[in-house]
Amino acid sequence: MNTHKHLRAYLAGIFLPTLVLPLLLIFVVVRLAYHVPIPVEQMLIFPMAVVPLLWGLWNMLWLCSYPHLHQPIGLHGAVLPLLLMPMGATLASSLGVFAIGSHGVVWFGLCFVPYTLIAPMFLAALAGYYLVWKYVVGFLNRVLGIA
Amino acid sequence: MKTHDEERVKELLRQALEPGEGSPEPSHDLWPAVLKRLDERHVQVPWFDWALLAGLVGLAAFFPASIPVFLYYL
Repeated sequence: MNTHKHLRAYLAGIFLPTLVLPLLLIFVVVRLAYHVPIPVEQMLIFPMAVVPLLWGLWNMLWLCSYPHLHQPIGLHGAVLPLLLMPMGATLASSLGVFAIGSHGVVWFGLCFVPYTLIAPMFLAALAGYYLVWKYVVGFLNRVLGIA
Repeated sequence: MKTHDEERVKELLRQALEPGEGSPEPSHDLWPAVLKRLDERHVQVPWFDWALLAGLVGLAAFFPASIPVFLYYL
């Protein structure tokens, strides 16, 4: 089990985001079947293409840096939203699924998020990533023999 | 002469690597210790993590519009 450690780290990293993909597929089916006027295709580019890739690479980075930094995997994962959220917002804005208004932002043309809630949501994202990386990715790393 | 040296080396090695006394089997059943070790590896979730999870659930409950935004980043 000492071979291909980085490949195993990548696979452990992409495991959870790829599990979410079938859930997102439901939105596509609903849109095509019921002609829901929500730009689902533009919404899916980021979670389908970018997020799994970054999770895998982030776990590989943890594997490479752990012998030098000894950082807990939960804290390592909690840093990832600092990278993901600006990227996701930029991509969403360029694809027209994220609009900035006078009192808040509108996601997907439906979800209005007032500015007062952006900071709590950002902290919640950090907390969620901390928990998921600590318990899910950490567990997968142990199962695959890299932690 | 050479054969004699080899025999002497073999004899010295045998003396240096004498088998341990007693039975090669362990003195007691090791399986309960293995089970105990496995039990110790169960994840202990600290109160801080429970608090974080409760905060996340609370935010999602009081502000459901945040759920698709979180899914977007997962």
